[in-house]
Amino acid sequence: MREKLHPFHAAVLIYMTQMGVVLFSLPREIAETYGYNGWIMLLVHALAVQVNILLIGLVFKLGSGKSIFDIMERPLPKWLCYPVYAFLICLWSLIGCLAAKNYVMIFQILAFPNMHPMMLKALLDVLAFFLICRGIYSISKAATAFFWLIVWMLLLLLFHIHEFEWSRMTTFFLQEASHFNIQSTVGIHSSFLGYELSLLLLPYMEKNKSFTKAISAGHWFTTFHYLAISIVCFGFFSFQQLKHFLFPTVNLLSYIELAFVERLENLFFAFFLITNLWTIVMYIWAAKTTFLRIMPKAKPKWLTFILLAVAYAIAWIPVSYDEVERWLYLMGFFETGVAVALPLLLLILLQLGKGGNRRVQI
Amino acid sequence: MVSNSSPARQQILQKFQNCTDLTHRTFPEIGVDLFYFGHMVGSIELARDVIEPLSNVTADEVPALFQRSQFKKAEQIQQAVKGILDGNAVVCHRNEAYIVFVYMPDYRNIESSETESVITGPHDAFVEISAMNLSLLRRRVKSSNLKVLCISVGEISKTDVYIIYLAGITHMDSVNEMKRRIENIKVDSILDSNMLVQYIDDHPNSIFPQFQTTERPDAAAARLSAGKVLVIVDGSPSVISGPSNFFEFFSSPDDYYHRWAIGTATRVLRFIALVITMAFTAFYVSITTFHYEMVPEALLLTLVESRSRVPFPPLIEALLMEVTIELLREAGARLPSKIGQTIGIVGGIVIGQAAVQAGITSNVLIIAVSASAISSFVIPMYVMSASIRLIRFGLIILAGTLGNFGIIIGICAVVIHLSGLTSLRSSYLFPIAPIRFRDWKDSIIRAPFSMLTNRPFQTKSPDRKKQK
Repeated sequence: MREKLHPFHAAVLIYMTQMGVVLFSLPREIAETYGYNGWIMLLVHALAVQVNILLIGLVFKLGSGKSIFDIMERPLPKWLCYPVYAFLICLWSLIGCLAAKNYVMIFQILAFPNMHPMMLKALLDVLAFFLICRGIYSISKAATAFFWLIVWMLLLLLFHIHEFEWSRMTTFFLQEASHFNIQSTVGIHSSFLGYELSLLLLPYMEKNKSFTKAISAGHWFTTFHYLAISIVCFGFFSFQQLKHFLFPTVNLLSYIELAFVERLENLFFAFFLITNLWTIVMYIWAAKTTFLRIMPKAKPKWLTFILLAVAYAIAWIPVSYDEVERWLYLMGFFETGVAVALPLLLLILLQLGKGGNRRVQI
Repeated sequence: MVSNSSPARQQILQKFQNCTDLTHRTFPEIGVDLFYFGHMVGSIELARDVIEPLSNVTADEVPALFQRSQFKKAEQIQQAVKGILDGNAVVCHRNEAYIVFVYMPDYRNIESSETESVITGPHDAFVEISAMNLSLLRRRVKSSNLKVLCISVGEISKTDVYIIYLAGITHMDSVNEMKRRIENIKVDSILDSNMLVQYIDDHPNSIFPQFQTTERPDAAAARLSAGKVLVIVDGSPSVISGPSNFFEFFSSPDDYYHRWAIGTATRVLRFIALVITMAFTAFYVSITTFHYEMVPEALLLTLVESRSRVPFPPLIEALLMEVTIELLREAGARLPSKIGQTIGIVGGIVIGQAAVQAGITSNVLIIAVSASAISSFVIPMYVMSASIRLIRFGLIILAGTLGNFGIIIGICAVVIHLSGLTSLRSSYLFPIAPIRFRDWKDSIIRAPFSMLTNRPFQTKSPDRKKQK
């Protein structure tokens, strides 16, 4: 019997996938997009994601835990499904590799200006390869172990209590936004992406009832993490400062000083390699799982290797940080669409083709 | 006089041809031959159970004598040969052979363990004789549910390996799996339990030990009552227990003999020691190679001054000192204890003042290396401490080439490896992954006894409640 995912593991997996390097620029993006006290809009984004998660939960319930591929292939012919799969493989592989490139480029800016980012990325990819080859159950187990290495960092915010002032929040709400447009809104919304991969976890879940709760718990913990960082940033820096910093969270961390060591931001930033690693792992795993549906006889290890290698080659194309950001925005835009459209499509297919066998009443 | 030229006698003599240490005594008046190894049998037991009865019977009374319970009839000649090899006496009469249990070799007295020293709690430790080790266990677990299976391992050594478990508490899947693994060992000889454990590991190529070993009977008894399987290897003072997890290697029986708050604090201290021993030197290398901005201004001057006379890059400097420490440790372990102390003094001077004055290393590095070395000795299990020390070298190299990024990459690789490990098919990172918060109170901390009411979930014990 195949091992099943414990709801706690699923929650952690979603949190680790959602959390990424965007955390470091998110307070600035919020300030630019929504203006004063823009952090409150994170709750709106989180609620929108929650609605999306409920849709995914509905797919799980109506499909009785069937995989999305089974649901799709029941009413639709395979030749119609395969282009969709191909699109998803490309999208997920690209998101995986660009998230990694984005991270190493920031690290290069912060600590290693002379080192080629692709060398650092290669190391990340090697770790990702070993993790993906172990399968989803081991990935989730490792995610839980790494979760404890990351979560304590929330306590670092306590260092900023002395300098935190509520008056910096001002009495204005959502005013003086300098970049309020679709592009920046989607950019902020895409910082929550990762939850949609729970669609691929459907066949691995342990208890049917806990699925939606688990995914929601992971998502709301991410929201809490984002909110905590953003609120502290809004109360620690002035509004103009916040808009000025490229990575306000890094600046925030750089204020932490211990007796023997200071400027800890690059060490803490290195710790966030872990959450970034999970973003890569989960997206490439999703791409591999989809690829296996097209080529069921292919060896998973080779597929993983090929996907990572091709993604690595593509990651050479964007050279500057701005270029990577632009690519990521584009991918985030598509992925947001997929996150909404895919569950809706599956629900329609379940209803039309009666793809989901309702549980037999005993 | 009754002649004895039984085939059994002839075959035994043939089997042990040129074995001059075999004692062969004859009782011609009753037609009985006696075989044993003098150095393996107890002289009192031999005299009481064999010599005396055989000396006081007539030829007609011999068949009745062999009806006594101490004479076990050997069905085949191989059984009789094995009996002699096991240290028993074999009596041949006509066509039959009888085994008498008189095995009582000389053994080391029960002393306190040198590898697992203890401050509070019992001081006795296992010895090399399995019977004595079983006795030490039975004295602590007075239950008929304590079951002992015996398997002979090794084509040549024929080492007795005992699987011990508590019926009704230990999950039988663990027992059967352990039995299957031991039975499948195909090897000439097993000389120690630390050798056997490498044959039964789930992942033999991993750097981490996957089964705990202990020389302390109290620790073994505690693991038995937790629902684990024990394995005693004849000739070894270490007892294997499983399934185990990574965090158990940082606990010591002493934790339970102190007040819970002290036990918890000590346990937390060991986890801090784990971080220090793994990453402290690597962090020094990372800072002095790539991240000087992380050093506070007040400390920077001292560090720069200390480093100014050193002609090597921090990576080489750190590796040099770490290798020196390892050499000293290994030399201290191999040398007799009296000379070992000298090594400590010489080493202290070499890696201390002399190395700094010669300009080979900096003061700060010596503090880092010493702190790492001391922390590695805080880890109670030597096998785990050795694994962590080896990983440290990898982290130092990564820190020297990639700074903080390298350290995190290294830690990630270690945790990924750990998350893939299993012990008797159960997760090695238990109770962190898979998560089991209830078991944290007896693995991450040491909660008061009133809260330790359940056996660990990892053992899958059918009787989950410890206190009713």
